[in-house]
Amino acid sequence: MLCEVCKIREANVQYTEVVGGVKTEHHFCSQCARDLDFGPYSAIFDGEFPFAEFLSALLGAETPSQKQDKYQQIVCPTCGMTYGEFVKNSCFGCADCYSVFDVLIHDNIKQLQGSESHKGKRPVYQNTGGSEDAAAPDGAGDLTSGGTGNVPGGLGNLPGTAEDNPAASAEAQIADLDRRLKDALRREEYETAALLRDRIRALKGGAQKNG
Amino acid sequence: MDSSRNIICSKVRLARNWSEYVFPSRLTDEQAKEMVGRLCEGLKDIDGQLNMRYDLVDLSEIGELGRRLLKERRVINRVILKKQAPMSMYLSDDEDVSLVFNGADHIRIQVMKPGFQLGEAWKDASQLDDFVNARFPYAFDRKYGYLTSYPTNVGTGMKAAATVHLPSLATGKKFASLITDMGRFGVSIRGLYGEGRENYGAFYEVSNQKTMGLTEQEIVDLVGRVAVQLDEQENQVRDMANTNHRLIREDEVYKSYGVLRYARRISMKEAMTYLSQMMAGCTDGLIRFKEPCDIYQLILGIQAAGLKSRSRKPLDKDELDVARAEYLREQLPELV
Repeated sequence: MLCEVCKIREANVQYTEVVGGVKTEHHFCSQCARDLDFGPYSAIFDGEFPFAEFLSALLGAETPSQKQDKYQQIVCPTCGMTYGEFVKNSCFGCADCYSVFDVLIHDNIKQLQGSESHKGKRPVYQNTGGSEDAAAPDGAGDLTSGGTGNVPGGLGNLPGTAEDNPAASAEAQIADLDRRLKDALRREEYETAALLRDRIRALKGGAQKNG
Repeated sequence: MDSSRNIICSKVRLARNWSEYVFPSRLTDEQAKEMVGRLCEGLKDIDGQLNMRYDLVDLSEIGELGRRLLKERRVINRVILKKQAPMSMYLSDDEDVSLVFNGADHIRIQVMKPGFQLGEAWKDASQLDDFVNARFPYAFDRKYGYLTSYPTNVGTGMKAAATVHLPSLATGKKFASLITDMGRFGVSIRGLYGEGRENYGAFYEVSNQKTMGLTEQEIVDLVGRVAVQLDEQENQVRDMANTNHRLIREDEVYKSYGVLRYARRISMKEAMTYLSQMMAGCTDGLIRFKEPCDIYQLILGIQAAGLKSRSRKPLDKDELDVARAEYLREQLPELV
């Protein structure tokens, strides 16, 4: 088999990637493999062989910098802020950042605040005014238009929920979508999350027109 | 004598965000302008809240000097001073209550009160908070509480601060370690005036370090306890000095008055030092004025932006010293 990058040399490196439960196999020649980024495994192809790094990679441990690098790219679908930017400025971009980065920031907030949950006042009027404003300008338009094209079939589970069930009230649909949005965020499926968010926004817009 | 006599003023600030918009750092100028406009419009019936009248101030329009003036009078913070974006504010007549839109967070509610009134300030701030919330839903999370731009404010979004005057305590050798120790109680203390490491006038602000995991009342109680403790310790030292070295104390206070009343030019450091000594003398009853005199207001008045705005022209450092002396001569009442 020829190397899938240069298509000249014989492939002698087989690389199996498992992302989100989907297994993909790649075949490279050793020369091309050296130029590709395999994270901690890249060391295998280098002249010098850092045994410790290789071993820790085998054991599944990641060095802190690599862990950080991986998370730097996580982006909040609402405001477009990446985790890297958050770490740099220690400033959130929007309310949704808290749920998007929840897993990553939880311990930091706990350390910073000495607590992990809010005690004290709650908004008095929280549920009354929420639905009236649907056209939230949040500067994430570019993200959604690009997002749809990149996930063919990725939303197979989306249709057939809200719209197919006219009996369900708009609120119930929104609540359902909202729950799935949070779920998607937890699984770090940001494209799905962006689409779910758009659906919620559209529904809120519709609810406003109808009611 | 009044307990808490060295607690100059109390302040409560609440940070809130409107759930409809992304946080200020991600807003474009257009979005910010729209949001600020809608907030101003939605809250235009604010007059009468807390029995006060309010003016709408366009913070981006009043320029840097205007904002500096507000910073000196402790209405706004450094973030708002430096920020270049559409910002507006409802400010009460006496400047004690303010609602700033599009600062570090969408809405910043601040209530200041003279003396030791943290509980009252919190009550008023909470009332205004409900007034705003009745019109604008907040970014709120069951777990994290009120969501704010900075993770240091999340939860209650509240900062409770008491300004204390500690002229005798601050001269003690243990004061530096005392300040450090306060961190363990969850409060921080910072000097209010001065340059570099030097503090002018021994005014300090005690405030809560953490905003989550405590109720607002617990924060008020915590900051209050520390402020009262510091006040009591200051009183002990001063009472002892007043009893044992009364002449020295009186001499110090009267000399301070003399300089402030007759100087032709006076630097910030000198003015702060003498005002601080005079304030202590006034509180301890060593010196009495013919008319009531709020020395804390004088301290706010002698800062650079205040003097510049009074003279209506830019002033260099020497001119500032002259203007400062002039201002003090005008303001200081005669002695009984």
